[in-house]
Amino acid sequence: MKSTADERAAMRDVICNLLRSEASESHVRATMTTRSGYDAALWKKLADLGIIGMLIDPEYGGSGLGPIELELIMEETGSVLLCSPFLSSGVLAASLLMSSKNRAVQQRLLPSIADGTTLATVAMTDDRGCWTEAGIGVHAHQVKGHLRLNGVASYVLYGEVSDVFLVVARTSDGLRLYEVTKDDSRFELVPLSMFDPTLRSARLRFADTPARLIEPIDWTSVQKSLDVALIARAGEQVGGTRRIFDMTIAYSKTRFQFGRPIGGFQAMKHWAADLLIDVESSISAARYAADRMANQIDQSQEALYLAAFACSDAYTKISAATIQMHGGIGFTWEHPAHLYARRARAYAQLFGSPSYYREQYLRQLGA
Amino acid sequence: MMMRDDAEDDTAALRKEVRTWLESNWDSSLPPEQDRWNLSPATKAWLVKVFEAGWAVPTWPADWHGRGLTESQADAVAEEFGRIGAPGARQDRSNFIVRTIYHHADPGLKRSIVPALLKREKGICLLYSEPSAGSDLAGIRTRADIDGTGYLINGQKVWTSGAAFADYALLLARTDWDAPKHAGLTVFLFPMHQAGVEVRPLRQITDETHFNEVFLTNARVEAIQILGGLNNGWRVLQAALAYERTALGDQSRAARHSAISDDLIGLARQYGRLSDNALRQELAGVIALRKLHALNGARARELGDNNEPSPLVSLGKLAMSRILHEEARIRTSIVGVETLLCGPDHPLADDANFLAFNAYFTSIGGGTDQIQRNIISERILDLPREPDPDRNIPFRQTRSG
Repeated sequence: MKSTADERAAMRDVICNLLRSEASESHVRATMTTRSGYDAALWKKLADLGIIGMLIDPEYGGSGLGPIELELIMEETGSVLLCSPFLSSGVLAASLLMSSKNRAVQQRLLPSIADGTTLATVAMTDDRGCWTEAGIGVHAHQVKGHLRLNGVASYVLYGEVSDVFLVVARTSDGLRLYEVTKDDSRFELVPLSMFDPTLRSARLRFADTPARLIEPIDWTSVQKSLDVALIARAGEQVGGTRRIFDMTIAYSKTRFQFGRPIGGFQAMKHWAADLLIDVESSISAARYAADRMANQIDQSQEALYLAAFACSDAYTKISAATIQMHGGIGFTWEHPAHLYARRARAYAQLFGSPSYYREQYLRQLGA
Repeated sequence: MMMRDDAEDDTAALRKEVRTWLESNWDSSLPPEQDRWNLSPATKAWLVKVFEAGWAVPTWPADWHGRGLTESQADAVAEEFGRIGAPGARQDRSNFIVRTIYHHADPGLKRSIVPALLKREKGICLLYSEPSAGSDLAGIRTRADIDGTGYLINGQKVWTSGAAFADYALLLARTDWDAPKHAGLTVFLFPMHQAGVEVRPLRQITDETHFNEVFLTNARVEAIQILGGLNNGWRVLQAALAYERTALGDQSRAARHSAISDDLIGLARQYGRLSDNALRQELAGVIALRKLHALNGARARELGDNNEPSPLVSLGKLAMSRILHEEARIRTSIVGVETLLCGPDHPLADDANFLAFNAYFTSIGGGTDQIQRNIISERILDLPREPDPDRNIPFRQTRSG
């Protein structure tokens, strides 16, 4: 299902209004210090609006939307640094399950993911955090006729609050996708201390842990859900980038030194002009990648990799400039600049680094 | 989504129409022009065909030799022409001088010259910059003094492309020395073929001579040749410069010798450098710049920013300048020590050296990168303007040098 431009504008308004009133900076700061790292009441509202289940088919209680709408929503959530497990549950896990061939599992899990009552997450990389097939650190094998998982999965987003873990594991016969639930006590979960306090992740260690087989899976299917997550990531990066750039320009007009606004100094003006090219380019890259994926046109992979590094680089660069351009106030914990810089640094590594995606981009171009 | 699907269908039909037209009209044996200011009769004949078919200015109305297309439809036309290397389409964007005349001249003046310029029956050049008025263009000192029904022009202009082949010029001259600098300027459609106009070629850092100096000594122009009103030259010029920046943001000159110089991956492969991971990282970054620039352009057009001169186009020129310098840097690094050499025996080195120097055409011409950054920060970001001590005093009291 595709939305019209009017529907998308309306969608943007709805989420924008909700986040403006319920995800203010002080709210984000309060939420980021809680153990769970998200606000259950706001989560419910997002679910009621159909946002948590946006990628899930209406058949399973979702809204059945695609990458274009996802990118648009994420621009808004990224702009306020929304603390939520949407990326892990509504995007990564939901996409992986949507492409599953196991209808029983879909029917059992997707409706409650869509309505927000189940939090799901995906465990697919070990401590190296490379989000490639080679990075899978969990093995499955039979022990006395029972299926058991062993190994480590790290950087599992919102692991501590998740109900269901979709675990990608190696077997002697290719990859398999397994389901482990939090009630299963036979695995160890350690919440990781995050440099970005608005994010949560955990390290899971499996030791002869029982698991339920969902299906044999190939890496391409995992990669496809990761691709959707990259669109979401790009959207959040772009939203954050734009927000802090606007914030910085506004500040430079009101901060007076030497009797004039600091934004009037050419050192600032010229820097800002150069950064504006990066801001605009990252917006273009994210929206283009979403559009290519939605329409399944040629070069969708190329567009995705381009967005993956262009949006990461822009967010990192502009959030760093934000701190510098604010001067002393930008060096304080009370100012939000560092929160955006932390998110920028986190997202530049989560799901793959800019240099990794530059290399993938070049390969797509035939080099 | 439906709206866009319809638009896509329309564009597909349009592309088909253009292709069909090109198939039955384009002569692929037409040699590419070496000098864009001095075209062959065959190329001129082709431009007449393009003009008559309405492809020269697709966004203009039919009674102005266009087809009333939207900006993105016109871009599709340009892409189809570009695909086979056929020139002459989409001059409503690329031919910034004609675009200025079209939007600012009186109907009579327009009718008398615009078609001839589009067909290149007549040539035109720019007489804006002066030796002491570069970035500060409002500081020009070429005078236009009333003389009967017209004006006598005296002064010196510089950076004039194609002056030797031009029939006309857009001339910026001072008509009021007691008004502040921006308020005493007038733009004329100035006839070049007359006594009192002396053109001297200027040798560039690329060892080419596209630019000229033009000396004006008691040259004459009639008052009816004024564009956009007496003493209203600064406003006309702002539009003209914005059109020029749009064109400069779209343009980059191809390599002179080998097409492979423009294909950075191909070049790196030829020099055995594709296994160099440090170079691969840089290569991806530089190639991305050009792609992102194209995406920004497409998005700006979708937003309809380009119907009128918008400051956003300054972003395009600044971005293109960065692209050209970055591409030149990586091209030089790939070709390496061979860039010590030049001449036709070393075509790839020659391309690398030429393009490295020619990148300054874009980063200086049409307003330097530094002036573009002022424009972007002041007009798009609304940051405070640069101090301009001579802005409000009579021009004759200002200092120059």
